[in-house]
Amino acid sequence: MSITGTRVSGRLVASACPAGTGSPNALPRPPRDLQRTFQLALATVWLLDAVLQLQPFMFRPGSNGFSGMLHGLASGNPSWIAHSIAWNASIVDHHPVSTNAPFALIQFLIGFGIVSTRSLKPALALSIVWSLAVWWFGEGLGRVFSGGATPFGGGPGAVLFYALLAILLWPRTGSDQPFVAARAVGVKVAKTIWVAVWGLLALLSVVGSGRSPRALHDLVAGMNSAEPGWLTRIDVSSESFLLHHGTSAAIVLAVICLMVAAGVFLPPRFARTTLVLAIVVFAVIWVAVQNFGGILAGGATDSNAGPLVIVLALTYWPLTDDRGTASDVASDPALVVRGNRPS
Amino acid sequence: MTTTPSWLYYLFGVLMLVVAAYSVVLLVSSAATRRPLGWDVDISHLFMGSSMAGMFVTKWAFGAGTVWELIFSVLLVWFLVRSIQSMHRWGLHLSHFLIHAVMSFTMLLMYRFPVSAPMGAMAMSARGSRLDPGLSFVLAFVLFASAIFTLASPNKGASRHGTHAPAYAMEGTGSGAATSHSAGPSTSVMSIETLLATPRLEDASHVVMCVAMGFLLILML
Repeated sequence: MSITGTRVSGRLVASACPAGTGSPNALPRPPRDLQRTFQLALATVWLLDAVLQLQPFMFRPGSNGFSGMLHGLASGNPSWIAHSIAWNASIVDHHPVSTNAPFALIQFLIGFGIVSTRSLKPALALSIVWSLAVWWFGEGLGRVFSGGATPFGGGPGAVLFYALLAILLWPRTGSDQPFVAARAVGVKVAKTIWVAVWGLLALLSVVGSGRSPRALHDLVAGMNSAEPGWLTRIDVSSESFLLHHGTSAAIVLAVICLMVAAGVFLPPRFARTTLVLAIVVFAVIWVAVQNFGGILAGGATDSNAGPLVIVLALTYWPLTDDRGTASDVASDPALVVRGNRPS
Repeated sequence: MTTTPSWLYYLFGVLMLVVAAYSVVLLVSSAATRRPLGWDVDISHLFMGSSMAGMFVTKWAFGAGTVWELIFSVLLVWFLVRSIQSMHRWGLHLSHFLIHAVMSFTMLLMYRFPVSAPMGAMAMSARGSRLDPGLSFVLAFVLFASAIFTLASPNKGASRHGTHAPAYAMEGTGSGAATSHSAGPSTSVMSIETLLATPRLEDASHVVMCVAMGFLLILML
């Protein structure tokens, strides 16, 4: 499948053209808007989360249910935050159906709301508000205050990436150049966000329990119950590796995050290399450490940060070649994607 | 102890029956107007809706598991062949038949590996083994992606008859009338078709089917 560029209504969008579909009888394929594609990817993840919210244990009161999981997130936080989390968990515990069903409904509304261009903005706005609420009450602020917010475990909170993507994919007319995230907030702001995110990830890799081999080992060990055999075998290797090289792994991850942070300022060829590095590293972490967010064990509320970090990285994928620069884009927002630049 | 509210399973069960009934309407409409577009998808939705209703609500289940397995095996082969034909004809592309093949495959798996849903799967053949959760997750994600991208697609109705529909229609009717309503059947059938056989409703039934099937796959984890 090749990616080409097409000028539509004064702006340029990429189109995915399956090879060999040049038949005159085929319907003309509309050009693909990359921002729209990423919005729909985000909607798919929200739909997955909505259905995960309908799992039986979500409706179960007590320590083995959703409320028990929420209650467990209070520990380690400052007392007033812990109290608010415990208060919310207690409401869910007393009314598991009448709280969990609306929780699922909100996520369905976000997912399907993003699909329609008319409801896109309200859905993205709702997703930001909902993500922040979930980060507080459902993720215990990502364990930032308890010192356990390592990126290996999804820190500073997977749900924050939903909010971030909602901001970076906010619909706005214009070019996807030099990368998709710049369309919503502008190149400078997008790059600032990128540096802040990856700088934070680098920092969280080496502070608190993030650099503790035992804590990293326990992070994986706590995930692998009820996982399928092949994933358990991967976990055993991960646990052993992190137990013996946990600190080194944390430092290497921090260095990688800093390289990725700097990558956005590099020429497109090198920027792509750093993005591929980020995608590969977080894909490995998602599988070998985060265990797909615990989904395969049947007790997860989301897929954790791995796939969202990958989508985030893709929204920064340079769409110009090495000759293209930000100033080119400013003066000519209709640059053609890869190999189709106007001569 | 099941804690999931029963109304949730009934809701999905009713939705499945509605989709199955809608498929019957589309089949009748297609036969009356002599337009064969999407009849195979309608048949698959009829079978999938009927059987999944029984998975969500046990007392609505009917038929032996082996019969359902046979039906979905045939549908799987059919849609795979149609996918290959489509790619052979139009070049390498994501044919809409592929997602129906995935759905048929998923149905087959759900009969081979009983769903752990508290209220469902009683009509299935219980073999005691468990479907790999990784495969369940991948299939569920593909179905959810299909639901989202179908709704967002500018080609409304493509989930039923694909993006090459006009060309297929010209071949199927010999009149190129698939997108017009002048084939000459009775007025009542035409009015019913105008009311119900809209591309948006066709896509909606596909989306409901995808979400329900994905939910069952998540319950299999």
